[in-house]
Amino acid sequence: MATRVDQAVGMSLVVFSLLLFTYYSVWVIVLPFVESDHVLHIYFLPREYSVILPGIAAVILLLCIGAFTAVIMWKHRKPKKVD
Amino acid sequence: MTKLLQWLFGVSLVVAGWALVSFDLLDLKLPQPYREVAWPMPLYLLVSFGCYSLATVGYRVATFNDCEEAAKELQEQIKEAREDLRKRGLKM
Repeated sequence: MATRVDQAVGMSLVVFSLLLFTYYSVWVIVLPFVESDHVLHIYFLPREYSVILPGIAAVILLLCIGAFTAVIMWKHRKPKKVD
Repeated sequence: MTKLLQWLFGVSLVVAGWALVSFDLLDLKLPQPYREVAWPMPLYLLVSFGCYSLATVGYRVATFNDCEEAAKELQEQIKEAREDLRKRGLKM
């Protein structure tokens, strides 16, 4: 058995990804077929954001990866030997 | 035909179909909702692949099992190795 913390973290990842998938699917696929005065539209941002928000998330992800790599490489720099 | 060429051919077919529907290149005048659904399709597939990866990682973290016997066996092997090295003179 994985530890309690591991199980909690794992299950929360699963639940989070399911919620995200459902929200994004309804946003992209279901909403165009629903009339524009239906109450469902209140819970969703305008459709342009369904492209902009993942783009921003991708940029943030790349920034984090780049920053992490930079920090690790900075820590491991060795001074050049003097002849 | 190499695998790379086959993949590129398949990908370009899919991209052509998507562009045809999204940008109405053949003036088919499809209904507006279908065009609105087709246009973000590449991004939607990417997001759903990311969600699937995240869910798989989370599930495997939650269901990772201990292996009691392997742990015991490893501890015994560590003891044996220590004894052996001590006999040969390595100070621990």
